[in-house]
Amino acid sequence: MAVKRISRGRGGITTLLAFVLFIGVLVFIFTPSSDPESVATRQRISDAAAANPLSPPTSAFRKSSDPNGRRSPPPVVHYQLNNLTSTPNPIANKERILILTPTTKFYQEYWDNILKFTYPHEHISLGFIIPKTTDGNKATTELQKAIAKTQSGPESDRFQSITIIRQDFEPPLTSQSEAERHKLENQKIRRTSMARARNSLLFTTLGPHTSWVLWLDSDIIETPPGLIQDLTSFDKPIIVPNCFQRFYNTDTNAEEVRPYDFNSWRDSDTAQELAAKMGPDEILLEGYSEMATYRTLMAHLGDTDSRRDQRKIMPLDGVGGTALMVKAEVHRDGAMFPPFPFYHLVETEGFAKMARRLGWESWGLPNYFVYHYNE
Amino acid sequence: MYRHSAYPNGYASNKRDDGEPFSQYLHRFQPRQTHLHQRNRILKLLGLGCVLTFFGLLILHPSTRNHLPLLGVASPAVKHFEIETLRYYDLETVQGTSRGWEREERVLLCTPLRDAEEHLRMFFNHLRNFTYPHHLIDLAFLVSDSKDNTEGLLTQLLEELQADPDPKQPYGEISVIHKDFGQKVNQDVESRHGFAAQASRRKLMAQARNWLMYSALRPTHSWVYWRDADVETAPVTLIEDLMRHDKDVIVPNVWRPLPDWLGGEQPYDLNSWQESETALALAETLDEDAVIVEGYAEYATWRPHLAYLRDPYGDPDMEMEIDGVGGVSILAKARVFRAGVHFPAFSFEKHAETEGFGKMAKRMGFSVVGLPHYTVWHLYEPSEQDLQHMQEMEAERNSRAQEEKEREERMKRIKEEFKDPNSQWEKDKAGIAEKTRQEEKAAAEKKAAAKKKVAAETKEAAEKTAAEEKAEQGEQAGQKIQSPDTASTSEESVKVKRPLGKKASSD
Repeated sequence: MAVKRISRGRGGITTLLAFVLFIGVLVFIFTPSSDPESVATRQRISDAAAANPLSPPTSAFRKSSDPNGRRSPPPVVHYQLNNLTSTPNPIANKERILILTPTTKFYQEYWDNILKFTYPHEHISLGFIIPKTTDGNKATTELQKAIAKTQSGPESDRFQSITIIRQDFEPPLTSQSEAERHKLENQKIRRTSMARARNSLLFTTLGPHTSWVLWLDSDIIETPPGLIQDLTSFDKPIIVPNCFQRFYNTDTNAEEVRPYDFNSWRDSDTAQELAAKMGPDEILLEGYSEMATYRTLMAHLGDTDSRRDQRKIMPLDGVGGTALMVKAEVHRDGAMFPPFPFYHLVETEGFAKMARRLGWESWGLPNYFVYHYNE
Repeated sequence: MYRHSAYPNGYASNKRDDGEPFSQYLHRFQPRQTHLHQRNRILKLLGLGCVLTFFGLLILHPSTRNHLPLLGVASPAVKHFEIETLRYYDLETVQGTSRGWEREERVLLCTPLRDAEEHLRMFFNHLRNFTYPHHLIDLAFLVSDSKDNTEGLLTQLLEELQADPDPKQPYGEISVIHKDFGQKVNQDVESRHGFAAQASRRKLMAQARNWLMYSALRPTHSWVYWRDADVETAPVTLIEDLMRHDKDVIVPNVWRPLPDWLGGEQPYDLNSWQESETALALAETLDEDAVIVEGYAEYATWRPHLAYLRDPYGDPDMEMEIDGVGGVSILAKARVFRAGVHFPAFSFEKHAETEGFGKMAKRMGFSVVGLPHYTVWHLYEPSEQDLQHMQEMEAERNSRAQEEKEREERMKRIKEEFKDPNSQWEKDKAGIAEKTRQEEKAAAEKKAAAKKKVAAETKEAAEKTAAEEKAEQGEQAGQKIQSPDTASTSEESVKVKRPLGKKASSD
């Protein structure tokens, strides 16, 4: 009774307030979504998804709606590769990027870094190849955790699709305490095994949609967020940024950078002569004193001045794989990472040579840096 | 109606009898409709709770809003599916074994097509007949630089195949790749096999094959089977038969049927061979971009070819190590392609395309094997030379028919011109006989008349009889001369006949 009397007393204002609040809530709820852009994104992702799990790994796919998991036969899908482009303006042309990462150890910094990429994530697919070792299993678990978090997070952060491949061969054992001669031999085995892993990853995930392939090692922990746009803007079939490493210099007591990847180089006459004298199964390697090649190494050409010209470009004969942007058509023509001595070169260096044989040139950006993890 | 809580005698209405003491608290206080009231309140509370939870849910989890049909109308109609973005594959499970059909191993069937409309129906008949479980086979086609209706027919046939009511017919994933490579080389047999065009043609073919495979290869594939559309006859168990050998790369022998005048059959695919010293020495002398092609006099390599080693009665399971492979029908483990082996579109150890593929597989340590006595039959397409020869044969056949016809006509004419003289002779003989008879009669009559005359004129009789007998003798001699004449004429006509008959039989 008392309540009634009070409400009767101040009825006007309370009812009005309640009504306004109610309407407000309704409006809030009935607004399609808090963010119309996210709906559009979701719609696009939904449209891009393949109807069947038997589809290119660069697409997400729709889960079966049939409770028995039975599906009708997969549809006939046409892929117009004549219309597939790889241009200096990939965002406007909605070009798909495939980021491939051979992984042995998972670095959270790597994941955080690719999450910061400003290229629309819905056009990015990721591929990982991980060996079936104890370390590999650990890396897989950590990676899956990171993926689960991202793919259920904000729509704009989610990647189009992610493929994890477990390697079908054992990686060679790496022992540090061997004689220099053996180290060289080990290096060859390590590089050929790496090449095989790269090929396995590339040729199972490439698919018919990919326009650009970005090779990015799992220990690359810092890149400019616009890496994809920056590298594609040069419109080169193969392009490599300079890979550096941040370290704490105990002599000067300061944070400094030093070159890390020495596999990007221009050939020298000395190296050519060395190769000419070699047996068919021997390989040329960079960074060994008994095999001085006198090649021009891009790593040494990096200018650490903050006002450097980041768009400086140079032609290369061998490329490193820590960060490497390749037009997908180069790979489709057959350029792969030779797991055998190809012109006395293996892996990424051999790749540059094979691409050259197919008519594709390699380029390097000495002043555009990406940073490698420091143990 | 009048109602009172007490009787007129002053007792309370619910007082049963006088002995019962009056008590105003006899009954517990029970407000009217208490029960209903409480239930109502609980319901209201429940309802409020529900509404609050509902709105709370909508606010906290915006995604649930889309499940409401009512709200679906308010928001733009967005079709939503449960989407999976993560794929996980273990390559150790897709190594490829000798009994793939039992272990449900997936096979990728790759077929490059160019202006292949006429062969498509035949190819789909082969597809329908494959005994390898169809749902384990993914089909990938490359349609490039086609000017005919290859694309339309292919789509139609594929749609029919996937919609087949027989659950054993539809295949797995089907990809049709459209990519033109600007091929200027004509596809007719002559230019396809001409020597000068080979190197660039093979490089373009290699490029096409790589584009097809790298678009269609998936982490689920254990095997890759390359098959040309123009295979005419092949065993339906071909995939299993090749798989049983458990080799990294394996090819059957490829022959083609020929018309009888060309020998009935012929080795077709000369790209499967074993390396020879001569060829290696030859390769040394060539420049970096040169491509050695088999089957041309320009490069005499003296290599043992798989095709020439075929024995129709040989053991079909016999294996032979080879270095170059032909592309008509190749079964390879997917791990070969995953390791990086492809169809070089450049000169790899002086070879390109499928031959370079064989070389590269060998270089990476994979086993490459051919089956000399297990044969697949390629379609016979007559070459320009064959066509010319066929034309000549046709012309000869025509001229012979013409000749035959002429000969018959001549025979007819001869028969008409030289009529059979026997009937005439019979007639004549009859006529002569008649005449002779008449003459004899006349002579007899004359004799009789003469006898009468003798009888009458005995004087002149001796002279007259002598003269008449003379005349009679002369007439009979004339007849004798006439009959050998007619006989010789009939004999001549036979002589004319005989040489003609001889000629016909000699033909």
